[in-house]
Amino acid sequence: MKYKILILVFLCAAIGIQAQRTTSLRFNEILVINEDNYEDDYGNKYPWIEIYNSSPGTVNMAGCYLTNDINNPKLYMVPKGDVLTKISPRQHVLFWADNRPSRGTFHLNFTLDSIKPNFIALFDSDGRTLIDSVTVPAGQRPDVSYGLIEDGWTLKRLDEEIRLNPLYKGGNQLWIYFDDHVNDGRYVTPSSNNKILDTNDKIENFKENDSKGIGMTLTAMGVVFIALILLYLIFKLIGNTAIGLSHRRAMKASGITKEEAKGVVGQSGDVYAAIAMAIYEATELHDEENTILTIKNTARNYSPWSSKIYTLRETPIKK
Amino acid sequence: MDFLSFLGDNLATFWTYTAFANFTWGHVIMILVGLAFIYLAVAKVFEPMLLIPIGFGILIGNIPFKDAGLQLGIYEQGSVLNILYQGVTSGWYPPLIFLGIGAMTDFSALISNPKLMLIGAAAQFGIFGAYIIALTMGFEPNQAAAIGIIGGADGPTAIFLSSKLAPNLMGAIAISAYSYMALVPVIQPPIMRLLTTKKERVIRMKPPRVVSQTEKVLFPIFGLLLTCFLVPSGLPLLGMLFFGNLLKESGVTRRLAETARGPMIDIVTMLLGITVGASTQATQFLTWDSVKIFGLGAGSFVIATAAGVLFVKLFNLFLKKGNKINPLIGNAGVSAVPDSARISQVVGLEYDSSNYLLMHAMGPNVAGVIGSAVAAGVLLGFLG
Repeated sequence: MKYKILILVFLCAAIGIQAQRTTSLRFNEILVINEDNYEDDYGNKYPWIEIYNSSPGTVNMAGCYLTNDINNPKLYMVPKGDVLTKISPRQHVLFWADNRPSRGTFHLNFTLDSIKPNFIALFDSDGRTLIDSVTVPAGQRPDVSYGLIEDGWTLKRLDEEIRLNPLYKGGNQLWIYFDDHVNDGRYVTPSSNNKILDTNDKIENFKENDSKGIGMTLTAMGVVFIALILLYLIFKLIGNTAIGLSHRRAMKASGITKEEAKGVVGQSGDVYAAIAMAIYEATELHDEENTILTIKNTARNYSPWSSKIYTLRETPIKK
Repeated sequence: MDFLSFLGDNLATFWTYTAFANFTWGHVIMILVGLAFIYLAVAKVFEPMLLIPIGFGILIGNIPFKDAGLQLGIYEQGSVLNILYQGVTSGWYPPLIFLGIGAMTDFSALISNPKLMLIGAAAQFGIFGAYIIALTMGFEPNQAAAIGIIGGADGPTAIFLSSKLAPNLMGAIAISAYSYMALVPVIQPPIMRLLTTKKERVIRMKPPRVVSQTEKVLFPIFGLLLTCFLVPSGLPLLGMLFFGNLLKESGVTRRLAETARGPMIDIVTMLLGITVGASTQATQFLTWDSVKIFGLGAGSFVIATAAGVLFVKLFNLFLKKGNKINPLIGNAGVSAVPDSARISQVVGLEYDSSNYLLMHAMGPNVAGVIGSAVAAGVLLGFLG
């Protein structure tokens, strides 16, 4: 049974580790009609697909598959052996949908349709596990990209933000259009963050609403007090329980009842010291050798580094 | 003749590389500061384990040199000092220090009298007092928070928070925090005397009860769960603190606890001290902001000490006779462990030569460590 629990724990840990891997990749921004936008290294303008690593760790997407056909998930395998397929935490890579895979790792073997809706999907290296997919609606305009309102967000994340953050002003659409010609702060941003963070909203909010710092002081001190009051309450309870248990154990060991104990418990330390002294005086059986202090050098001929006792692990208690 | 001019040119070039050719008065001032730190540590025994590495680090950091891409200085990427400094800038020395502190701290005093935890909370007013003053002096909220944490009297926490919120001020904040921690014996006693009456200073507290092994093992577990569920941003510091304490108290990981509180914390303290000291290059460090930070740091220590003492006096109004707390342990709410607790003991003995306050003061002292880490977590959560 114990081993089964252990295996279960390891499995859960393995799932947790997986969450830091390719499953953190998201389609982030897509440009279907590229007339006057970003150029590839060959100086050509093709549709592009931006993928974002939403995890706090580096993710290597080599071996994953990109496709625009749900029936053919293994349409384009991201080549292995290219260091550029390793995406740093919260960073992007850009794929060119130019149907020219011979031009390098980031040139796909399919294109995007400028008239019909475009379905694109990212599959894990097994070719079966869908990591992310998106359908770009028909009727895309030239040089206007279709992207996530914030890098790497999911619907769940957006719902949480709307529900929990009263300062959020981004609307309730997860996928939006980015157009350089509309002055709404939403620009086409290949290989860059969809939302450009040029200020820290939290700091700005404090500067605007709590310029004297009183709000921060009250809130933060409140939290510090709550944390330590909680600890106080828990350890008050644990302490009382521990005292009760030790009294009960002591009474059991000395065979006295609760009523008899009442006369003993609660005496001050001075009383105990006086009793101890009286017992010592009355029962002094040793002669003077008891008061002789012996100082003797101790030799330590072994080192913890060479000791088998120190280097061996203890056997786990199986009971 | 050509050979002589060649030698002359070489010597002239060599001269441009020496510190003599590159020094400024700023470097001289900083070298004097470094020497003062070393003097305080050696002659006055003020926090020698901190002031010797920091003081010597200041000397290292303020030997001027020509920037010739030789990867010498602490701010040159790839230099040895720069690599060691990563532990400060990336904030991974402070949690390691906390691991060691956890492994050497005995929380028994706190567990036996848990109400002392509240003193550790009250002393954190020093952080927020300095935060308010820093805001009025024109610092940004994130900078004010990083400066305010000096009032927690906890060097690792100050470095951790400033590396996240205001990396450009970290050198000044770290030096200020450690300097004032070393000066606790100078700063705190006058405030303690000023705010207490003679009668209050001789209050005798109940001796702490014996704490069972089970309670000691439960403390780090509950401590972690309660504080970090409330303030997850304090996890790096509190997680390591309580982990170290569990290593100590579990009784089955003696080797690990000994390593954490011995060689490991010693190594990290040396590296932290020397790199923090070396980061105070005059060209980067000698600014008006640094002067202001030093002033604010002193203010935060004063506020923290006063808040701790006054809180005990307030608390005593609600406690029964016989359960009263000696307000001289209020200063120990700042987390300069164990110095501020020692100050409580020393000042207490001045007024009653048989009233030993050390064990009582250790309660708020270690609560202060938890309190300042929680406060840092709150500030990081709000402003990070």
